[in-house]
Amino acid sequence: MRRFVSQGGFWVGALAVIAVALPLLVSSTFAIDIFIRILLFAFIGVAWNLMGGYAKQLSLGHAAYFGLGAYTSTILLIRYGVSPWIGMLAGGIVAMLASLPIGALCFRLRGPYFAIATIATAQVLMLLFLKFRDFAWGAEGTTMPNLGDAPLMMQFDSKAPYYYVVLVLLAVGLAITYWIERSWMGYYLVAVGEDEDAAEAIGVDTLRIKRNIYLISAFLTALAGTFYVQYIYFIDPNTAFSFNVSVEAALVSIVGGIGTLWGPVIGTVLLEATSALLQSWLGGGHGGVQLTVYSLILIAVILYRPAGLIGILTAAYDRVIAGTKRVNKVSLDG
Amino acid sequence: MAEALVIRNLSRRFGGLRAVQDVSFAVNECETVALIGPNGAGKTTSFNLITGHCRPDAGSVLAFGRELVGLRPHEICAHGLARTFQVARPFGKMTVLANVMTGAFLRDRRLEIARQQAREAIDFVGLAAKEHTPARELTTIDQRRLELARALATQPRLLLLDEVMAGLNPAEIDQAVALVKKLSQRGLTIVIVEHVMRAIMAVARHIVVLDHGQKIAEGNPREVVANPDVIRAYLGTGYAEPTAAGESHC
Amino acid sequence: MPMLTTIAQAVVNGLLIGGIYALVSIGVTLIFGVVKIVNFAQGEFVMIGMYISFFLATTFGIDPLIALVISMLALFFIGVLLQHFLIRRVLALGDMPQIFLTFALSLLLVNIALLLFTANYRTVQTAYSETAIHVGAINVPLAKLIAFAVAMLLSGLLWMFLHGTDLGKAMRAASQNRDVAMLMGINPDRVYCVAVGVALALAGAAGSLLMPFYPAYPLVGQNFVLMAFVAVVLGTLGNITGALIASLMMGVAESLGIQFVGADSGLIVVFGMLLLTLALRPNGLFGGWSR
Repeated sequence: MRRFVSQGGFWVGALAVIAVALPLLVSSTFAIDIFIRILLFAFIGVAWNLMGGYAKQLSLGHAAYFGLGAYTSTILLIRYGVSPWIGMLAGGIVAMLASLPIGALCFRLRGPYFAIATIATAQVLMLLFLKFRDFAWGAEGTTMPNLGDAPLMMQFDSKAPYYYVVLVLLAVGLAITYWIERSWMGYYLVAVGEDEDAAEAIGVDTLRIKRNIYLISAFLTALAGTFYVQYIYFIDPNTAFSFNVSVEAALVSIVGGIGTLWGPVIGTVLLEATSALLQSWLGGGHGGVQLTVYSLILIAVILYRPAGLIGILTAAYDRVIAGTKRVNKVSLDG
Repeated sequence: MAEALVIRNLSRRFGGLRAVQDVSFAVNECETVALIGPNGAGKTTSFNLITGHCRPDAGSVLAFGRELVGLRPHEICAHGLARTFQVARPFGKMTVLANVMTGAFLRDRRLEIARQQAREAIDFVGLAAKEHTPARELTTIDQRRLELARALATQPRLLLLDEVMAGLNPAEIDQAVALVKKLSQRGLTIVIVEHVMRAIMAVARHIVVLDHGQKIAEGNPREVVANPDVIRAYLGTGYAEPTAAGESHC
Repeated sequence: MPMLTTIAQAVVNGLLIGGIYALVSIGVTLIFGVVKIVNFAQGEFVMIGMYISFFLATTFGIDPLIALVISMLALFFIGVLLQHFLIRRVLALGDMPQIFLTFALSLLLVNIALLLFTANYRTVQTAYSETAIHVGAINVPLAKLIAFAVAMLLSGLLWMFLHGTDLGKAMRAASQNRDVAMLMGINPDRVYCVAVGVALALAGAAGSLLMPFYPAYPLVGQNFVLMAFVAVVLGTLGNITGALIASLMMGVAESLGIQFVGADSGLIVVFGMLLLTLALRPNGLFGGWSR
């Protein structure tokens, strides 16, 4: 029994069952809303993690793709009546195309300066969309047309369907990460993240790898953008290109476990749970408390557990469930 | 015999420092050539220029008939040149096996094949027992072995070794020399930067000497060791008078 | 107003604010050059300098120019603490923790300020807040002129410090080669503390100098830090003079952009400069050798 239970697959399966059953067990829409947010930000974190966690390209401007996805699908919906399901894919493609020139320029910078350039990119996009009045509603943004219950147009009259949509997105993101992690690309990504020059010296086309992972990361982030604006029935530049989205994308991965499969999920659960707790303690209206706490958590993690909290969890798992003491968690073991 | 590597008029400066000045030499296939010179002579820079980590200001690098100047390092590696770094640069987060597999993926992206190729390289350098050790936990010497294994996994035709023997004790030097000889027997062309004379004498049939970025001598070991310019470069003027002819300390 | 005058006015405006950008970007460059870490929170220390001056002005009636000294001292002290207790712990950890430490710090400071002071704009009116000097047809606000002058003065003093004093030279040595500097008996931690302290003091000075004509609010630092970072990249990483010149250039570019393109085009103009530089001269305008 112990050996069965200690297989990772068992736990993933159990998790999946719980995840699928959750909306059926919980009736509070408030709770489901929280779960949706958790799944959404976990998904955004997973998308970020591919680039920022494995390849160590620390982007703080992923909101650019979130927003591009959101605006593409909304424009297609409102101006051309195109279903957001298609709009979502179109948004992903737009994001991928955008990532090419952005990457070409930003990848010339290393480390912190790359991060700054990405921040500036997202900011510039926000400014541009604030100006685009005719094309994209400018600063006031727009609400989605209320089509009632219209599954083909990504609108549902209850929360549960939204939950399942974002659950599928997260599952896709995790599956992609899992597959990449175990393929040659995963090794190349970690190599680039560890030491770009050494990677080049053994035949890794670092520019191409960075570009490719950026394409994937941007695509997935854009899908999240479409989902979000469909869920809240509203879009405006400040929401779509919000710096907070960029920050949270990176934050959940770092806190949970940078460069690991489940890191972003763990990080999101922790941070959103903290956020929900804070809200119920203090009520709303204390602008700044949430981020203050987030940043304190981040600082604590950086100082004491730079690899993220996943290390604590895997150690606990090993000791309690598998009965072993795994000594050194390595990211790739041949 | 065909020429594996032809360096012609290679030059590179960094601001006011002329790191490599108009250096030319050739390496035949299957040959082992040593590149020696006092510290700061431009040996590692030459390697960087050859492998594309640095762009030369002038000159050409022909490897197996193809011009390398202007190519990116990974293309040069794909063409068959592999190098080790003076200070080993392993991918710390990965195990030994994973590190070497990353090198193997250049030739075949299938996991099983790469793993096999990697294991062969790991066996060759003697790290088989530490296959699953995270690279960051290896000793310096083992990290050097890893560096070599990883380079070998890319199946090079020409290998550039940068001071692999530094800090080794005599027994370890002998082991390393044996490895290098075995590689040469397999048909690998090797250019080795070294300070350890004993190793150079054992493996190299041809030596190129650099000093202050310029080539000052070239020839077989006996000639080079007796060359007054070489002696002057290492020991300063005052030692350049010819000693008892043909004497060497190696 | 004739075109030439309009341009000249925009250039003057740009130079004046460029002086402030220079203080902030020199601080970033100093920390990057010596400690090899990018301080994402530099703008927040400007903000702190502003609030210090604000409270000294409203509670004790102290003019911001005098409060300058106090805020510089306070921020120097904060800088030493920051280096000694926080930055030192992540120096060995590599890029990612370093970036996120100062980034988290930035978030923390902004949000604490939000909690303590709310998002309201705070301003200070001084005797010279509204005065302007007229040079021909050009209007030069006195407060901005003073800010520029003091900024240049402080930059000059910093240059003298780095080149004329032993401690300054030690800092330059440590920035070029930490290990050799240690062998020469230079204590890197002490040097780092001074570097961070000085950099933050410059930020504090910027804050005080801004108060007479700029409002203080929690997010104010973000305006300056983005500009500062672009200036640091433009001016070549680690090059203090480069950061100064680039900051002035960016101030002018931003001002011309605002004048001729539109009120919120500042960032786009600046980002455009960054892109252009990256495309043409990836190592910055004063860049050394490329790969």
